[in-house]
Amino acid sequence: MQPKADVPLGTLALMVLRTLSVLGPLHGYGIARRIEQISGDLLAVNQGTLYPLLLKLEQEGAIRSEWGASENSRRARFYQLTRAGQKLLAKETSDWEQTATIVGRFLAFTPEDVS
Amino acid sequence: MKPGRRFLTRLSNSLTWKRNDQRLRVEIESHLAMETEANLRSGMTPEEARRQAALKFGAIVSISEDDNSEQRLRLLDDLLRDIRYALRQMRRSPAFTLLTAVILTLGIGVNTTIFSLVYHVLLEPLPFPQPERLYAIWARPQIGGNTRTAASGPDFIDYQDQSNSFAHIAAFIPDFTEPWTGDGEPRVVWCTGVTKDFFSVLGIHPLMGRFYTPAEYTVLNSSSVVVSYRFWKSQLGSDSHVLGRVIRIGGSANTIIGVVPPLPDLFPKTDIWATLTTRPSWEFMKWRSNKFLSVIGRLKSGVQPAAAEDELTAILRRAPGEASAVRVRLIPLKDDVVGPVRNQLQVILLAVALVLLVACINVAALLLARSARRSSEMAVRLSLGAGSERLQRQLLTEGLLLTLAACSPGIFAAWLALHALPSLNITGLPRVEGVHLNSAALLVTAGIAALTTLLFGWMPSLLFSRLDLASSLRTERTNTGNMHSRSFSGLIVAEIACAIVLSTCAGLLLHSYWLLTRVDSGFQPTRMLKVYLRTNYYGPQGQNFWKDTLESVGKTPGVSAAAVADCTPGQGAAIATLVFSDRPNDPNHSAPAEGCWASSDFFRVTETPLLRGRVFHPGDGATSVPVAIINEQMAQRYWPGEDAIGKFVGVNYTGPGRRGGAAPRLRHIVGIVRGMKNGAPDSPTKPTIYMPYVQDETYHDLASMSLFVRTLGNPLMLAEAIRIRIHAIQPDQPVDEIQSMQDVVSNSLAARRYSLSLLSAFAGLTLLLSAVGIYAIVSWTTLQRTREFGIRMALGATRAEVMAVVFRQGLQLSFAGTAIGICVEMVMTRAFAQLLFGVSPLDPASFCSAVVLFLAIGVGACILPAMRSASIDPARALRGD
Repeated sequence: MQPKADVPLGTLALMVLRTLSVLGPLHGYGIARRIEQISGDLLAVNQGTLYPLLLKLEQEGAIRSEWGASENSRRARFYQLTRAGQKLLAKETSDWEQTATIVGRFLAFTPEDVS
Repeated sequence: MKPGRRFLTRLSNSLTWKRNDQRLRVEIESHLAMETEANLRSGMTPEEARRQAALKFGAIVSISEDDNSEQRLRLLDDLLRDIRYALRQMRRSPAFTLLTAVILTLGIGVNTTIFSLVYHVLLEPLPFPQPERLYAIWARPQIGGNTRTAASGPDFIDYQDQSNSFAHIAAFIPDFTEPWTGDGEPRVVWCTGVTKDFFSVLGIHPLMGRFYTPAEYTVLNSSSVVVSYRFWKSQLGSDSHVLGRVIRIGGSANTIIGVVPPLPDLFPKTDIWATLTTRPSWEFMKWRSNKFLSVIGRLKSGVQPAAAEDELTAILRRAPGEASAVRVRLIPLKDDVVGPVRNQLQVILLAVALVLLVACINVAALLLARSARRSSEMAVRLSLGAGSERLQRQLLTEGLLLTLAACSPGIFAAWLALHALPSLNITGLPRVEGVHLNSAALLVTAGIAALTTLLFGWMPSLLFSRLDLASSLRTERTNTGNMHSRSFSGLIVAEIACAIVLSTCAGLLLHSYWLLTRVDSGFQPTRMLKVYLRTNYYGPQGQNFWKDTLESVGKTPGVSAAAVADCTPGQGAAIATLVFSDRPNDPNHSAPAEGCWASSDFFRVTETPLLRGRVFHPGDGATSVPVAIINEQMAQRYWPGEDAIGKFVGVNYTGPGRRGGAAPRLRHIVGIVRGMKNGAPDSPTKPTIYMPYVQDETYHDLASMSLFVRTLGNPLMLAEAIRIRIHAIQPDQPVDEIQSMQDVVSNSLAARRYSLSLLSAFAGLTLLLSAVGIYAIVSWTTLQRTREFGIRMALGATRAEVMAVVFRQGLQLSFAGTAIGICVEMVMTRAFAQLLFGVSPLDPASFCSAVVLFLAIGVGACILPAMRSASIDPARALRGD
């Protein structure tokens, strides 16, 4: 099996928020699975960071959670984006895009650009 | 994002011990189940599916830890856990906790109290505007001499008229008495007479009404009066309509025109502020050599005290008859007030600092001893993965809690003591009123205590981090032992040295006091009563009152003899200058003596033996030959090797109210008595001359004298009978100042008794602490050496030999501490030589008893550990517990 990359530092929150925003309420396992799927199975979500992150986001008010039943009617905690979470997502998205643009410019940069 | 909100949630979770472990566990469970199902769907065996799911999930414990630290505040969590743990530790060793807390409480309480007191008395500025410009003005007649003289009326007028250095300058006569009649029981009131700028010098304004107008300072017998705050409060019932009220002071009616604000620092006793007029003035104020005025001044801004001294010196030297070497000195007013108690307070301050030092050393030793006992616990915790930083934090928390437990009662005790002090007034200190908890003192003291506790609580953790875990765990012994033992012994030696210093100080003071109580003052204070009587008689008409009083009181049942005199043995007599007929009288070298007008039975009442000649008899009347009786000291001083009886001498008095100028009558010396002290037992017996009170041609003595009564039983039981008899003769005569002579003598030693009891208490405290210290270290090392003792005993050492080893250790510590302490004390003792009486600063008795005491304590503290070591069972000790 090809070793999967860990989620780059600091981007997990963005991925979680984005997943919840597109797919609606999900439980922890679902979030982890979806992130892995969306990444084309290139990423492995570390559960040890996922659950503390979910707790942190909840304490910050970006998501809220409640108990519910999973597809197999198993007790699971479902996470859902809040209004503050949507704002946070928008901000994180634009931050990320900016970062990506900057990094992109550096990658496209050749000696001619500065001469 | 809302970090604030998140912080609050975590804080509240931490504080309420809320844990959401349950939620996490359920989530993890369902996560694993879903993962397993997914694995099953992809065709794994059920076992493989579960295994892969668990593998992918990772370590559940560390996730739940991470989760937990997200949920709550990690640091606070640890702190709270440390506190709970520390509290549990305290509960587990209540004796240690209590002992440490009590020692620290005592150290902090006593220190804060004394520091606050001394700070207030010695350092706090006087409560007046720009107090640093206030000076007391004295003259020193000789270069390098220690005697200082007050100013005469003309001196003061010269200062006032010719000096440019002062914004205001004023003179006053403190603490003279007047009878107050017409408002219930007649009373004696204490007056301070002041010249016109006095209140401006201090910069104070009336609490009510007004002070005297300049015009009122030119009237010799003013009919208006300003009263003190104390008098207004305690005698006039804080009456808000007191202005305009008429009170009879000194036999004349006076209208109250003002109330002075409280001046506890300067004139605690004063009831009435009287005017002291300079122009015109009384005869005694115009007399150049009659120096009795206290002078104070407020320097103009920018004028240096030295310049003002030079100016006043030049002014004084121009005065006729003034010694050419005279110099005027300016003493900061505060120093003038507290000067007499400075040395005493400094000694007490030093003593109390030693107490704090000893308390801290003791706590340090206790903490070290405890940490040694806990080294195996620490080893266990370290080997279970506790970080050394974490251990340090925990030990610091324990120290902090201990300090808190000790500080709060300590502060409370200090607060209580400072509130009680002024009302107790046992101290006889100036400026005690208004003393308050000094926050700087409190901070410093509590800071020192906290630092000690924290430092010595924390220090062992450094040692622990270097523990050899394996061997510690195996043998329950640690290699920190030697380091501990050395620092420990050093601490105890220092402690004993401090305690020795204090004990020797206390011993010296105790020895002094013991000698003082055995001093023969020349009179018998037991069963002797003193009744101070202030009359309004300034002329011959007063003689009947005194004659009738003597007669009536003499016949009271229970009275064996009665006399009157204007001096009080053991308290004071008026200063006089002698004039001789058998030698030239040099005005520049006056012959001083103390003078006393007395009635014929005076020496019978005091039980002072007549050495030669005769005592007064009724024949020595106003019109007969003037006679005098002198004490042996006066005979010695002025007629050495000669017979003083039959000589002639004149007596000139100085002071307010005296009539000077005319040459005094020459008196025939008819008797010599044994010397009687006119002051406290520690004052020298001064040359004194006694004269029949009826022969005072100025009648000055008739205004105020004391009645002395020799009684058969308890003298105070007769107070009421005597009061009734005096009131039968003169209904409005104040008879409120009644004292037994024993109290008079005892009061004169009050300051000594006070510093003695304080120092003894401190010495006792440090003694006790060092005994605890020796005990702690000896029993601790004994415990450490259990195995060694076991081996010794197995090899044939007797129990006595093992005990000797223990005793040797205790004695070594005592010896070392005692030796250092004695050396320090020998240097320090000179600092308070002036508090000693009749003993040398190197008094062998005090030093020896301190040494013996400490060796005894050294041995005593070893008894228990020695017995314990002797009862060691060699077999068990060798097996290693």
